Amino acid sequence: MNADAQQDFALAFLSILFEGAPFILLGTLISGFIDIYLPAGTMDRFLPKNRNLAILVSGLLGAVFPVCECAVVPVIRRLVGKGLPLGCALAYMLAAPIVNPITALSTWKAFQGQAPWAMTGGRMLLGYLIAVGVGLIVSRIAMHRVLRKSIADKVEADSAKKEHQHHDHDHSCCGHDHSHEKANDSRLIAAMRSAQKDFVDVGVYFTIGVAITALFNTGIAPGAIWLDSLAGNPAAAPAALMALAFILSLCSTSDAFIAATLAKFTWSAKLAFLVFGPMLDVKLIFLYQTVLRRKFILVMALSVFAFIWVVAVAWETWFGKVVLP
Amino acid sequence: MSPVIRRILFSLAVLLWAAVILYFYQSGRIVKYLAPDFRLIAMAGGLGLAVLGLFNLLTAFRESDCGHDHGEGEEHDHEGSDMSPLASLILMTLPVGFSAMWTQDGFSQATLARKGLYEDAQPADTPFLASAFPAPTREEIENTHSKTADGYLQFSLMELFFATGDRELQDVMGGLQVEAEGRIVEEKNDNPNGTRMRLYRMFMTCCVADSRAIPIILEFGKEPPLLPDNGWVKVAGTMRFPEENGTLKAVLEVTRATAADVPPEEKFLRR
Repeated sequence: MNADAQQDFALAFLSILFEGAPFILLGTLISGFIDIYLPAGTMDRFLPKNRNLAILVSGLLGAVFPVCECAVVPVIRRLVGKGLPLGCALAYMLAAPIVNPITALSTWKAFQGQAPWAMTGGRMLLGYLIAVGVGLIVSRIAMHRVLRKSIADKVEADSAKKEHQHHDHDHSCCGHDHSHEKANDSRLIAAMRSAQKDFVDVGVYFTIGVAITALFNTGIAPGAIWLDSLAGNPAAAPAALMALAFILSLCSTSDAFIAATLAKFTWSAKLAFLVFGPMLDVKLIFLYQTVLRRKFILVMALSVFAFIWVVAVAWETWFGKVVLP
Repeated sequence: MSPVIRRILFSLAVLLWAAVILYFYQSGRIVKYLAPDFRLIAMAGGLGLAVLGLFNLLTAFRESDCGHDHGEGEEHDHEGSDMSPLASLILMTLPVGFSAMWTQDGFSQATLARKGLYEDAQPADTPFLASAFPAPTREEIENTHSKTADGYLQFSLMELFFATGDRELQDVMGGLQVEAEGRIVEEKNDNPNGTRMRLYRMFMTCCVADSRAIPIILEFGKEPPLLPDNGWVKVAGTMRFPEENGTLKAVLEVTRATAADVPPEEKFLRR
């Protein structure tokens, strides 16, 4: 990299980092405190008994329990293990990184001057619909076709055990807090450590994503010109940005700041970037494999990609140039 | 790696981010990176990171208890990570550290060109600007723009650039005696006689990565005066919107051009 390229990269890299870091901090502080202070069974109690209704509500739980996509996978792993219905778990897993106040705030802030309300609303709505759709489909599929064998076996074993111990209140799985006497400052330390760990986990991927974005933004990366050349193509642009979102693996709390910099791309292509990225990217493929079967992940990834692409192309074809830039 | 060492490494990574953000804020260099709305947020984020990193560093050796029970066979670990702590530290600190050393607080000419320095405004590119600046009458322009001592109306470069994409504005502004301010660079397009330069400023929405160059053409009618390349200048003359090679251009026929002070920041805060 020559001196000019170093200078350009550094400027773009730092500016995006400065912009996104406070929002990542906010998200990880919340997730850290949820991790320590929120009993594990709390989410179960929020859900209606009706299966379909429960999935619809699960898609909105991110508004109450805001977590980014990196944090949501371990949470889901634990909740599924404790018997949260699979459809609800997947609806929450896919929707929570998008349908939550931190992501809404960062999207709205990042798109100032670029129809912020439309982008924020469109992102929430499309994200919610896809998440709930996946949840409803998954709720009709056998657990072994979705979950990793070890987890599915554990869920079934736990389910059988619960039936057997119906009224035997075992503290190890009820999720209640049974340690009220423990010092508050000890829990605060645990919460801050959890928040810091989350920040570093997300920060690493964010750094990689920002670095790649800065390389494209300043034209240093090979393929940056080619990517630009797709910007005006209503069919190729959403696909290209979804592929970029997949590679960049950005956090949903800060990806809007990067999408907003893709000035040559259409509104609907940016929307595709913002909806697809928090649901599927390189790091999530690895994280999902801790819970889901590979074959299911592949089918889900292709289906979500195709659905968002169709929506983006349809929007651009019929409404994009009339209503939005 | 022991949990204590992992905590210390993570705290150091967080503290480095805090230090870099707070340094750029405190030194005032942040104005080159972020739009005004984001600067306080960045400062708050820097302070928050400093608190998080210091808290965890100072309590790294203390025992903690999350206060809830975990199921049988579940790992009781709220700090475990899939990535090696050392790898996390390197990935979080090296790019930030090198960038802080490399940055010159501005883009090179090549990147400026990529960000629109040599592009002309098109009507389709400016729907939001159109709503922000509805076409005024000549009277309104004279009432809302102050005049220099030698009779030129003071315009922001944004207004002149935007007029290229708006036929109504061109009708009103064509022929006006205006003064504008910006950075001056060589004109690389359609300049066979070498009588043209280009005046630009950067327009930032959120951060400098999303900024765009807002340029107009300066026509001197003779060899341009010697002015520092990419330096700040004030230019005055007559505004024209000719069609050249099938494209409308914003051209200022310059009668006066002088070096100007560097403004406090790149954003359009003054004319």
